Amino acid sequence: MSRFPSFLAEILGALRGVLGDASARSTMIVGILIYSVLYPQPYVGEVVRDVPVVAIDQDNSTASRSFLRQVDASDKTDITARAVDMGAARNAFFSREVYGIVVIPAGFEQDLLAGRPAPIAAYGDGSYLLVYSNLMTAVTTVARSMGAQVNHARLTAGGVDDGLAQTLLGPVELTSIPVFNPQGGYASYVVPAAFVLILQQTLLMGIGLLHAGRSLPSGRRIWASSIAYIGLYLVWVAFTQLLLPFLYGVPRTGSLSTLLLIALPFLCACTAMGFAIAAAIPWREGVVFFLVVMGMPLFFLSGISWPIESIPEHLRLLSLLVPSSTAISAFVAVDQMGAAPQDIAGAVQLQIALAIGYTLLAVAIARGRRSAAPAAGGS
Amino acid sequence: MAARRPAAGLRRILARELRQIAARPALAFMLVPMPLMIFLALAAVFAQGLPRDLPVAVVDLDGSGLSRQLTRMVDAAADVDVTEQLPTLTEARQALVARRIYAILMIPNDMERDLQLGQRPEIVVFSNSQFLTAGGIAARSIGTSVATFSAGVSLRTLEARGIGPDRARDLVTPIPVQQSPLFNPSLDYIQFLLSSIMPTVMQIFICASAVLAFSREHHSPGGMARLLRLSGSPGRAILGKLLPYTVLATLVLLLGDLLLFGPLGASFRGNVGVFFLNGLVFILACQALGALIALIARDVTGALGMMGLIVAPAFGFAGVSFPRFGMSWFSQGWGAIIPLTPYLELRTDQTLRGTPLEYSLPTMLWLGAQLLIFGGLLWLMTRKAARPSATAEEGNA
Repeated sequence: MSRFPSFLAEILGALRGVLGDASARSTMIVGILIYSVLYPQPYVGEVVRDVPVVAIDQDNSTASRSFLRQVDASDKTDITARAVDMGAARNAFFSREVYGIVVIPAGFEQDLLAGRPAPIAAYGDGSYLLVYSNLMTAVTTVARSMGAQVNHARLTAGGVDDGLAQTLLGPVELTSIPVFNPQGGYASYVVPAAFVLILQQTLLMGIGLLHAGRSLPSGRRIWASSIAYIGLYLVWVAFTQLLLPFLYGVPRTGSLSTLLLIALPFLCACTAMGFAIAAAIPWREGVVFFLVVMGMPLFFLSGISWPIESIPEHLRLLSLLVPSSTAISAFVAVDQMGAAPQDIAGAVQLQIALAIGYTLLAVAIARGRRSAAPAAGGS
Repeated sequence: MAARRPAAGLRRILARELRQIAARPALAFMLVPMPLMIFLALAAVFAQGLPRDLPVAVVDLDGSGLSRQLTRMVDAAADVDVTEQLPTLTEARQALVARRIYAILMIPNDMERDLQLGQRPEIVVFSNSQFLTAGGIAARSIGTSVATFSAGVSLRTLEARGIGPDRARDLVTPIPVQQSPLFNPSLDYIQFLLSSIMPTVMQIFICASAVLAFSREHHSPGGMARLLRLSGSPGRAILGKLLPYTVLATLVLLLGDLLLFGPLGASFRGNVGVFFLNGLVFILACQALGALIALIARDVTGALGMMGLIVAPAFGFAGVSFPRFGMSWFSQGWGAIIPLTPYLELRTDQTLRGTPLEYSLPTMLWLGAQLLIFGGLLWLMTRKAARPSATAEEGNA
């Protein structure tokens, strides 16, 4: 009967251990708070607006000016400079004053009026893909709508009635609907995913700082410590997956129970892996070094920013050994896409398997150490 | 004594640092083999350069010859692969949530009939914009296929009305936009992303090795005083301690770049000398930053943690994925003090863009200024750190 209160006391003791150890505290508490302010800052603008563009208007006609006015008016692009020739435009480009060049060749208006194709050229910065696609979307949208107007006018002038003219020019109406992240926001895309990884890395690091290089606590103590860390990190899951999206205006749809369904096994897997790493790498600084360095590669293995289908199969299989590789997209599916339990079943099962596997591994390494230690001491 | 023979002081510190690395196999592993392994893994991840055959679903409510033709056109595009044909939108949406597909093409009821009657059927493309890259590529690819399909229908109808094929084609695309991605014609992710990720990972290794090197002295009693006694001056102490890591980091960065510009085929249009100098100044600036952090922090793990807070989010602030001009003043300022930001700009200038040197000059000065500031602070801190503990040690003895 008296065992439960004493177990509770051990859990509280483990939590006090986190608070009492300066490096563990700064990793598992202060660090996460700083990250939650700092990390999203580059992305809070969500979408790229007003890409600065230089225009070369060699036609200088009503049509060309109207075209450029529309490009300027688009919220994606902003014509910030005019150049007389490609050389001057390139210089503006090299000095990073502009990230795109729009060229309207001479004869644009004449061609348009004569019913000949009136091509224009757009040069974007291929070294910054987000910026590039912004420019191209803006320019092609203007080209299409202006072209459609001209053709519509031409066909109706030739006696074709309005409805038929529309049908002839665009027989199909294409509607494109981005789902889950309707404005294509960058913070909405990267923040929820990154914080799953941040939780994993800080939890692994914290356990490393508290336990690496020391013999693992035995028996009930290790269970009490695990429960303490998992409990602490459940609070962080709520903080990073519920509060942060709210604060940064990231859309969120998932149900709490489904979130818990992935969060709990994920934290168990991370905790077990943390103990395994702490047992395997007895050098505390080494654990931190290793984990800081692994953060970015692990993010690219999660399938969020680079499709999982494009990752070589053997590397993908190897990455399954790390909880975040499947958990990140499962968290995102639940929180941002409203996934139901069956949609994340595979990831949940894998987390459970990892939790068991790493527990066994940690125990095996700790046993090996303990039996090796007296022998080494004896020699 | 050491002051009279400066080279001896430097040699002493160098030899001592090399012995310390040799005595720590785990550290040695993290200096060369581990970054190379991460480079190889990242290279494998991005080796394709462009995502291909992204799985998408088609909900064909029409089931006509034309709708099957459209499905075939979508499937034939290199970027996507129609992996599922689903009867309802509900099921397709479920596949989207389960992350089996990145986009859905929905062909409406009676599309073929509506096309023949000229009633503009609405084709809808749903894409998973939570997976921004893959969803975007899939949506764009399907959109292009639909546009081609639509243009084909237009051409046929116009020709049927007696308008000649050439003239019909002109009518369909009156203002063709010639789209040119400067510097990266195939919009390849190796050049755009991998080329920036490798140095970003390297930056962490460089900073961390400097942190560990200086922490070893600073966070052991009397360590800094001993370091200064052996070297004879703060400058030689810093140089002797950091030089081995400078050489190793230069080697590793070079091997990564050989991989990138060799087998992976990234283009190099810049000035080799400037590119190399840029790498060297970047490494030195990162080292100075790391060593400085070690002298500020209260212990080794605290120093590594502080370093992590600066270097781990650096990629976002450097503005490779989300451009710097779209960021707040705070983010632009924060990015400006991290060596990675000017390094990556200059790297893009001197690899992909082939920027004339005069345009790269401000960025070079920016990175150089960082080195001067971090290096200067490090020199001051090293000199200062040696004094109080030196007297304390003598007091103890």
